[in-house]
Amino acid sequence: MKIELDDAMLLSVEKPARYTGNELNMVRKDPEAVQVRYAFCFPDTYEVGMSHLGMKILYHVLNLREDTYCERVFAPWTDMAEKMRAENIPLFSLETCTPLREFDLVGFTLQYEMSYTNILDMLDMGGIPVLSSERGDSDPFVMAGGPCAVNPEPLADFIDLFVIGEGEEVIGELVDAHVAWKKSGASREAYLESVCAIEGVYVPSFYAPSHQEDGTLLSIVPNRACAPASIRRRIVKDLDAVPFPENIIVPFTQTVHDRIMLELFRGCIRGCRFCQAGIIYRPVRERSVKNLTGIATRSICQTGYEEVSLMSLSTSDYSGLSELTDALLKVTDDQKVSLALPSLRVDNFSLNLMERVSKVRKSGLTFAPEAGSQRLRDVINKGVTDEDLIQSVCLAVAGGWSSVKLYFMLGLPTETMEDVEAIANLAFRVVDTCRGMADGSVFRGMKISLSAATFVPKPFTPFQWEPQDTMAQMQQKQQFLREKLRQISRRVELSWHDNETSFLEAVLARGDRRLGKVILDAWRGGCRFDSWREHFRYSVWMKAMADNGLDPAFYANRRRPVEEVLPWDHIDMGVTRAFLTSELEKATQAELTRNCANGCMGCGAASYGAGICPKTPR
Amino acid sequence: MSFGIRFRFSRDATLKYIAHLDMLRLFERTLRRSGLPVAHSQGFNPRMKLVFGLPMAMGLTSGSEYADVELEREVAPDLFLQTMNRSLPQGMKILAAVPVATNENIMLRIGAARYWVLFRSERQISADEMQDLLQRLIDAESVPVMKKGKKGLHEVNVRPLVFSAAVAKVDGEWLLEAFLSAGANDNLRPDLFMEAWQHLVSRTFQIRAMHREELYASMDNEWVEPTDPRACGVPVS
Repeated sequence: MKIELDDAMLLSVEKPARYTGNELNMVRKDPEAVQVRYAFCFPDTYEVGMSHLGMKILYHVLNLREDTYCERVFAPWTDMAEKMRAENIPLFSLETCTPLREFDLVGFTLQYEMSYTNILDMLDMGGIPVLSSERGDSDPFVMAGGPCAVNPEPLADFIDLFVIGEGEEVIGELVDAHVAWKKSGASREAYLESVCAIEGVYVPSFYAPSHQEDGTLLSIVPNRACAPASIRRRIVKDLDAVPFPENIIVPFTQTVHDRIMLELFRGCIRGCRFCQAGIIYRPVRERSVKNLTGIATRSICQTGYEEVSLMSLSTSDYSGLSELTDALLKVTDDQKVSLALPSLRVDNFSLNLMERVSKVRKSGLTFAPEAGSQRLRDVINKGVTDEDLIQSVCLAVAGGWSSVKLYFMLGLPTETMEDVEAIANLAFRVVDTCRGMADGSVFRGMKISLSAATFVPKPFTPFQWEPQDTMAQMQQKQQFLREKLRQISRRVELSWHDNETSFLEAVLARGDRRLGKVILDAWRGGCRFDSWREHFRYSVWMKAMADNGLDPAFYANRRRPVEEVLPWDHIDMGVTRAFLTSELEKATQAELTRNCANGCMGCGAASYGAGICPKTPR
Repeated sequence: MSFGIRFRFSRDATLKYIAHLDMLRLFERTLRRSGLPVAHSQGFNPRMKLVFGLPMAMGLTSGSEYADVELEREVAPDLFLQTMNRSLPQGMKILAAVPVATNENIMLRIGAARYWVLFRSERQISADEMQDLLQRLIDAESVPVMKKGKKGLHEVNVRPLVFSAAVAKVDGEWLLEAFLSAGANDNLRPDLFMEAWQHLVSRTFQIRAMHREELYASMDNEWVEPTDPRACGVPVS
């Protein structure tokens, strides 16, 4: 079935090009000629989803297979969703306008917790029962992966199978299994049984959690023989050996990241203790300069994009950065394309590199000291000093950059009001440095902004046992910071995160399977697009928690004993629990841990035998 | 020595929801993919030297749009056309390319446009009745409508901007053909025309599709295609 949308409908909604596909480099195949139809679903708008590199990679990898057609599906914005519901138009794919329920495999990417209700909404709009238990033989299999899948439990009621780890490594096996299963004519359950044996695949219905009286977990154990007790994350061992998308889709309407994204490496050598990405993508695996230069050159030719951006968790840690930027600048200068270098670290910022890149374009610079005091920066293992930051700011101003952004976090473990005050003091030193370095008129034109995010403890970090500050504590700290900043300088533009959003994020991030009913009720109560301020309905969420007899503070604000069974304990990320507990212990002592490049700390990721690990002695 | 090319292109229904600024970006990216030697402006943020004849409204298909592009060196117009057509997304096509020798902005040269509007009437209307409704607009001295401008809503009289109009029944729907003033100054969009007309005759129509059939340049008191050598400043042999 092909959905036809009429003009009147499309002209009455915001940005209709979100719904009409046909972009340059969109893959066109005959759906009748393939064995498996895969719907890649991004539970947010087109502009957000089309900015996501993971989707581009999986779209490319799946469509390289002749027997598979991967299409894209996004969450329609509320204006469109309303009209589609009113006219009984099911959610459809952009490539062939096929309703979601007609696909074989429906895969969601879980990039942030606040997108969960959109998953339910998309399934429902697509004609698929939202609960796994209610799906039958004619329904697709619903799968999910991505960073939030490291704690799959809150979504266990809705997702048939999770992929833990890097999708391009596992997805081919899931498709193969589907082809074989379809031929066999076996039951729906037989497919799930066949894939639960694939490493990195978690079929939640094959596991049963049990709780103690206080609500904490007793265990999560398999309830059938085919399911492994522990699910090990899958990774790509050699990034140069796997395909990377070059002929990426070029949207007609502007997206959030509308450019070529060049993925330098996965993982991060730094072990910042609050950072989930720094743990769950270990070990560091780099692409070669030669490979990256080739990808960039071909991608510019095939897309015509005006900007190439380097992607990684910490660009300055790429071992061949100087060689790479030399090679890339030759290509980008020649094509009048600009090169963006995000994620440069404060401590090894290179004036030389900045100068060369700013030949093409000068945008704002971002620094992320994360905490204001040296003590707290040591607690989080952010090996940066005030002097490092000030020196970098000097270089930036001297280099003619006129906008400086500072990123901090509030509510980090052990934080006191003195640490909060230290943020204001550090910001003042930055302003002072800018004033000293720049001409009066230049200084007046400078924009100095400070973002104070709320710390959200995440699974698989050393702080996974830590409580989040209560909303009252957070408000007090935000208020205090605002006061302090006002006293010392009016030049700093302060922004912070919404407390209710951060609180719910903390609940969902470290939640257990019981939250499934809460998510379901919140969605039924009208929650969707929770990450969009104008749509977030905190009270509906809190009512859903209460109706199900759950206390959000149990998940967000409680210090968990290190012996407690955690909802994600049956997921094996490669990094060991022993490493995380020792890091937590060191954090309380404000003791630093060296980074991977300076010697292995034995986190456990070496068990993959990939990337930096075999090259670094313990 | 730079070299100008004026090209005519079409946009079909699959791409009709692209907004004007996005069209600009689409062509810049297409030019970059094509490898053609496009001239750029000087300065910190070099832009391609590319100017469109008239912005395209969202929802409009067209068989005849025009743009001027400046190249760093001479490229045969036919080669330009073929190269671009290999690079454009499906749904957009270059139909003609000619050398352009004038520095005059193409936007200032465009003076009129011919449109087709497919629409339905809420009430059953006979062919004669529909003709009468259109005649009322043609005979009217003034046809006021509220237009959204930079300074908010203001009233405009669209009658002087309507050069001719005809209506016919096609497969159970109505097809309007309208020759309207177009360009940088007195531009009348077909949807605004429809709004003004409905308001004047107190009827409700639903627009089903809008198509721009041709754009015209004004030259020596005559409407000519913008690729006409006279409009391009090219000596006529």
